Amino acid sequence: MKFAYYPGCSAKSSCAELNEAMRNVAPKLDLQLSEIESATCTGAREIRAIDPIGFLALNVRILALAERDALPLMTICNTCTLNLIDANARFLEDQDIAREVNDRLAPEGLKYNGTTRVTHFLWVLFEDLGMEQLRTLIVNPLSGFSVAAFYGCHITRPPGKYGFIDSRNNRSLEQLSELLGCKPIDYSGRTECCGFHTAAHDERIAIKLTGQHIESAKTNGAQALVTPCPLCHTVLDSFQKEMEADIGRKLDMPVLHLPQLVGLALGMSRADLRLDKHLVSTASIRPHEAPM
Amino acid sequence: MGAGVDARSIGKVENFDGLAAGNRRLAAGDTIRLRIRRSGGDLGEQIRFDSFEIPYQASMRVLDALIHVAEHFAPDLAYRWFCGSKMCGTCAIRMNGREVLACWESVEPEMTLEPLRNLPVVRDLVVDRAPYEARVAAFEPWLVRNQEYAGFPEPLTHKEMKDASKALDCISCMACFSACPVIGLGSLTDFAGPAPLVQLAQTALDTRNDPNKVASALEHAGIFNCVSCYKCEEVCPAKIPIVSQVIEPLKAKTAVLRPALAKHSLTFRAIIAARGRIDPTELVLRVQGIKAILHVARALRLLIAGKINPLRTLFKRRTGADAAARRLLRQKDTGPS
Repeated sequence: MKFAYYPGCSAKSSCAELNEAMRNVAPKLDLQLSEIESATCTGAREIRAIDPIGFLALNVRILALAERDALPLMTICNTCTLNLIDANARFLEDQDIAREVNDRLAPEGLKYNGTTRVTHFLWVLFEDLGMEQLRTLIVNPLSGFSVAAFYGCHITRPPGKYGFIDSRNNRSLEQLSELLGCKPIDYSGRTECCGFHTAAHDERIAIKLTGQHIESAKTNGAQALVTPCPLCHTVLDSFQKEMEADIGRKLDMPVLHLPQLVGLALGMSRADLRLDKHLVSTASIRPHEAPM
Repeated sequence: MGAGVDARSIGKVENFDGLAAGNRRLAAGDTIRLRIRRSGGDLGEQIRFDSFEIPYQASMRVLDALIHVAEHFAPDLAYRWFCGSKMCGTCAIRMNGREVLACWESVEPEMTLEPLRNLPVVRDLVVDRAPYEARVAAFEPWLVRNQEYAGFPEPLTHKEMKDASKALDCISCMACFSACPVIGLGSLTDFAGPAPLVQLAQTALDTRNDPNKVASALEHAGIFNCVSCYKCEEVCPAKIPIVSQVIEPLKAKTAVLRPALAKHSLTFRAIIAARGRIDPTELVLRVQGIKAILHVARALRLLIAGKINPLRTLFKRRTGADAAARRLLRQKDTGPS
């Protein structure tokens, strides 16, 4: 299975361990990832809001590059995923906009026709690989490992994009972690917001919101969190010390990127999964004794 | 898609997400178990949950259940409704942790009913709407026309009214205000919250309005404190795309009319226009300036873990992303940057 691969800015900079883990896990799952080397940012929330046409141009170019290679486009970031899905929908519903955006792509000989399928690694596991196939690849079931899923927002809301009336009903991460042998933990923060998108100018929102979520996961018995989004990971992991100071309680909650959790069950080493690259130590994660 | 699985909505079926799935769980004569949060009145500061069992009837709404409880068990139960048909916006409450209109939501076999969050509770399920009304009034949500105009009826295109018209669907039920996590943090920020911003958008996004009037309202909207979580959109009974068609256009307006308030977004865009990709180190330094020094402890931890790399920030390998971004982003598309 071959995919055009779009890791996004975060996995190319401050969450580089996610990109490395994804690249190392992919061959084990028979996923061929062809990275779009010249891809730009998708505009996060900032360009999306203040420059709607520029936002569409950035995203449609990425979609067009995948289309040129006739490949589905796989991401590993929630916000990038939603941006690409939204831009694709906007391109398809408004011919005037589509023409204007294609005009901006023309100087490099690109034209988008609206055919690229946008997907996220989490969805690829279910839709392209399939749970039965994944089951056959597990060599190191993560038995007894209590994992709390932290979905983040943009992979489960807005409602019109993903089909839930109540996003708390999402069970994909729990189903996946059960298959890998883990015990999924129920807690109040599962589909709540980490506050990342205001953190660059004022991180107090992120610290207050996410401190509550991690505390709830801990109270309910989680040994670690797993998230499909590097932006959530940044807050959950890199800001955890500040949350501890804010709530006056040690949290010590390791936070795994989704490919890292999958990789552990596939028997991959901690080094291959870059588990050493987190701020909160992942040393406590060894019910399955992954190789060093 | 392989194996016919739609990974985007896994859990929908097993959790009865959706009207038809929910209705199939109940048949006439089944028992509905309610827990209702009671407070105020004789209870004073005390909070209590009262439990009731009532028989399910076909097409039963949460409001029907409340009426049944009040008529048969708790005549002193305080709840509010007027139209019963999704128009007046007075009956919003929380059912099992989710904001719903009592008049428009089907009952569930087990329901915990609570008042909306983020507003003072008057009694039981009734909240005081005064804080919301004060915020809306402070926006002075009306049109000011200092220029001559054609008189009535004034021709307007649907494009000119596109964003404002979505906001006009609001029934002021406060469901979004209750669901907003930033409003839940109280006075930590000056964020006005989704419901007041929808009211503001009705006139601020109306192209006829005086820009100075719009600008002075936006100055105290705290709009860049929205975390873009879409919780407001999820609960809006009028299905207003609050994030994408209210808050984002208001952010765009702010970037044009009051660029100093949009510094973070404009800096982000400037970095992308120059480099094609964002580097968090550069963003934080340029947005926060000298204030970034407050986070020196974390910066050191990030540096030691190898999660940030100043050399990579300054001397990055060129990938073509920078040249592409320069072609794709145009100065005229946004305010001064």
